[in-house]
Amino acid sequence: MSEVQAPVGGELYAARQKIYPREIKGRFQRLRVYAVFALLGLYYVLPWLRWGERQAVLFDLPARKFHIFALTLWPQDFYFLTWLLIIAALALFFFTALAGRLFCGYACPQTVWTETFVWIERWVEGSRTQQIKLAKAPLSGAKVLRKGTKYFLWFAFALWTGFTFVGYFTPITELAGKMASFSTGPWETFWVLFYGGATYVNAGFMREQVCKYMCPYARFQSAMFDKDTLIITYDEKRGEPRGARKKGTDHKAANLGDCVDCTVCVQVCPTGIDIRKGLQYECIACAACIDACDEVMEKVGYPKGLIRYDTQHGLEGQPKQVVRPRTIVYASLIVVLIAGFAYTITHRNVVAIDVIRDRNALFRELPGGLIENVYNVKILNKDDEEHEFSISADGLPGLQIDYGEDEVEVGPGEVQSVAVRLRVPRGQLQGGSDIHFTIRTRDERALEATGKARFLAPTN
Amino acid sequence: MSKAPYEYSGKLRWPRLGQDLAIVAWPSFLVASVATMVCFGFIDPVLIGNDDYPPPAFQTRMTGYAVGFFFFWLIAALSSLMTLYLVRTAHPEPADEGTDDGTRSPE
Repeated sequence: MSEVQAPVGGELYAARQKIYPREIKGRFQRLRVYAVFALLGLYYVLPWLRWGERQAVLFDLPARKFHIFALTLWPQDFYFLTWLLIIAALALFFFTALAGRLFCGYACPQTVWTETFVWIERWVEGSRTQQIKLAKAPLSGAKVLRKGTKYFLWFAFALWTGFTFVGYFTPITELAGKMASFSTGPWETFWVLFYGGATYVNAGFMREQVCKYMCPYARFQSAMFDKDTLIITYDEKRGEPRGARKKGTDHKAANLGDCVDCTVCVQVCPTGIDIRKGLQYECIACAACIDACDEVMEKVGYPKGLIRYDTQHGLEGQPKQVVRPRTIVYASLIVVLIAGFAYTITHRNVVAIDVIRDRNALFRELPGGLIENVYNVKILNKDDEEHEFSISADGLPGLQIDYGEDEVEVGPGEVQSVAVRLRVPRGQLQGGSDIHFTIRTRDERALEATGKARFLAPTN
Repeated sequence: MSKAPYEYSGKLRWPRLGQDLAIVAWPSFLVASVATMVCFGFIDPVLIGNDDYPPPAFQTRMTGYAVGFFFFWLIAALSSLMTLYLVRTAHPEPADEGTDDGTRSPE
């Protein structure tokens, strides 16, 4: 089937030929289907879940607050994201060292959405052969209808995807109402169409080209491979010389290997490569060729696993070492980081303080020999309940504090600004000195936070 | 070897400009996404600029984020584009046809 193969050699920018992957069933394809349902299910369902009065998962950009179930993250918690990214990167190293491009084959959004688009295509246009025939057929009413139905279903699915995406950033029930009445705001409209359009183009048309030309991970993943990495591989020693044979012939006597050269492994490949030529950078490790070959081997009565997950050492007849220092180190690092992350995020300080000096005057001299500085103290209450705070200051002898009332009430998830006046008897300092503000809740939890500021005084 | 290693055509050519623009647009989009996240994780867009005369783009957060994103995209794209321009319009290396021992022929 040469029509499915990407052009080899020759022009660097040869026009792309559409790949029609053939449908295949098998254990790895079942796993991929589960992955698609789990990941897309999560994606489409999450924004509809409620947590008390609010949406359970909502990244509220205008209010600069991220709600994730019980957790509310503030810009001050930004480092948690960095931490998450480090965990994600390590996980990628780990899984790549373990079994190559597992991420590409099972979890990458590009693969997952492409799978769904391929399903829709198959549902409307039929099997691989029917699709190829339809593409070659002259323009007719039936062809337009079929193609039109496919494009319409793709479009509807992509639009729903874009709508869901925006639903993570703006309350999705309100958004649904606005969508129904065509009254979405300019940014909502833009991002629904942008994300929906990207899904439509990437999963409908670009497909494997995204992996080949746009994905940085595809380019550097091989650097994380070693001879003990599980890769999808064709057992050349067992398969060659390949060739067709009549049923029941002793192929060994006819000097033939186990490969019957049926090319099913090529037909099922979503990137259009021939795994028998060895591992290629286009391979996204979807394992379709393993399932396809196993099915054929079963039919012709040969042992399964002519194409299989194996290590380079395994292929050379040496012992496999999937558990090895490299994978152990990655795995333990990930466990430590995740444990640390879980501990910190559940034990983080839910109150915070931000001190800004009053910009209008450096200091004021009061009758009675006092120097006064004015500050704007912001109290952040990231907790789910209201707290009453007291404010204190230290760092200079004879420091007096005045903020109007005895205590400051701050509601859950709110910020309260308080004008605070500090006074020091003249002569206690010259120029300036560092001082500290401390806020403390008046309940038994005694949550507290400290912020630094500078007290200024005349130099003489 | 007296043959000129390359011929100077007298005008600057940029082969495959269209493809190069696509190569520039995509990575700078990725970089701009990360830059926007990091930048506005630390800086609230409504606090940008002079308090008394806030620039119109930063009066609401959503426009602030968007303007920031497109700004980062533009800057990252300009940098990539300039790099590619210098690479693509450089004089080609002299053809490696010279010596028998495989070393490169002197210019």
